[in-house]
Amino acid sequence: MVRLITHNLLACHVKNCNANNFPLEFQNVQLEIREAEFNPEFVKGFLPKIEWKALVDTARQLGDTSLPNEQPEMLDDDFLKNLHHVLLEIHVEEGSMVCPNCKHEYPISSGIPNMLLAEHEIA
Amino acid sequence: MAPRKLESVSLEPSEDPATFESKNVHQIYDAIATHFSSTRYKPWPIIATFLQNLPTGWVGFDSGTGNGKYLPLPADRPGAIWTIGMDRSRNLLEIARHAGGDDVVREVVWGNVLENAWRPGAFDYAISIATIHHLATYERRKLAVQRLIQAVDPNHGRILIYVWAIEQDELSKRKVVDQDEAVVADEKGKDVMVPWVLSKNLAAKPSEDSSPPEVFNRYYHMFAKGELGTLAKDAAVALGLSVGDPSAEEVGQGVEVVQDGWERSNYYVELRRWSK
Ligand SMILES: [Zn+2]
Repeated sequence: MVRLITHNLLACHVKNCNANNFPLEFQNVQLEIREAEFNPEFVKGFLPKIEWKALVDTARQLGDTSLPNEQPEMLDDDFLKNLHHVLLEIHVEEGSMVCPNCKHEYPISSGIPNMLLAEHEIA
Repeated sequence: MAPRKLESVSLEPSEDPATFESKNVHQIYDAIATHFSSTRYKPWPIIATFLQNLPTGWVGFDSGTGNGKYLPLPADRPGAIWTIGMDRSRNLLEIARHAGGDDVVREVVWGNVLENAWRPGAFDYAISIATIHHLATYERRKLAVQRLIQAVDPNHGRILIYVWAIEQDELSKRKVVDQDEAVVADEKGKDVMVPWVLSKNLAAKPSEDSSPPEVFNRYYHMFAKGELGTLAKDAAVALGLSVGDPSAEEVGQGVEVVQDGWERSNYYVELRRWSK
């Protein structure tokens, strides 16, 4: 499955595609929501490593508008719960991820993204 | 049972290593995935300890995750860290997805250990367990280590790598080299084919007839003493990084070997990235 935690870490790696290759754009997605155990300490620990704008924009594309444009200074429980939901509970089961730069398409099938490239595409 | 001598193999100079690995590693794991997974359930102690000691909130990836047995760890703090599994075998990923029980779904990615599918430095840690020894040349094994180094944070990223050793312990059923070959193998490691006798019940296509069980030969490079440490240092140097203790340097970026050893028929090395 591609959850947004994973999506926030993936980038296009086609040969010579080095700029504007993140975030990949979801297309034709089928979503599933699965509850995950809330661990506020984990969410706080991961927060500094998130590419925030990419996460907020992608969540909105998938229909979740709960996150603010800027990371808040006060990390209250409501915010952490919304972030937990966005990162860990929205599963993209089918569809694809497309590179904004070279348009390479990474298909997602039965929840597993295919990040393999053909031999000639590898850097 | 007396140890079996393993068949040695060498890659023909004309043979493409990627094609060789596809035939002698990837296709085989896809065929034996269910049976293989049923025999791999116990985490090795050094790896469990490594994961136990990582701070809450850290995110990492498991390069060559197989059946995903390390994804649910640490057992005493489930959910405190988050490990994403990557593997070349789609059939193993189907199993890894449910590692640790059907009630939890793991994050897995179909990918190649020689490719960089991640934002540079995005992870806090990376592990690669029993994977790099399936790559058919020194250059490819080095590139796999470079990919791990590039994927983790330049300031604190931690890496643990495990590979099969030529030196197998007495509990192992495998025997790799004869005495007369041992000297050469001690320096360079040894390329072998390791047979897997597929249980008929757990085959991808189960058969009912009385034909003998199918045997699959997997390619392994068995590491010599000191070879893994050298490989890790060569990978760091290839990326323009210093090798060694950060206190010896004024400025720059580097990779420090935290520990390096042998455990139950495997060599392991733990690395840490630093910047100053
Ligand atoms: Zn691209």
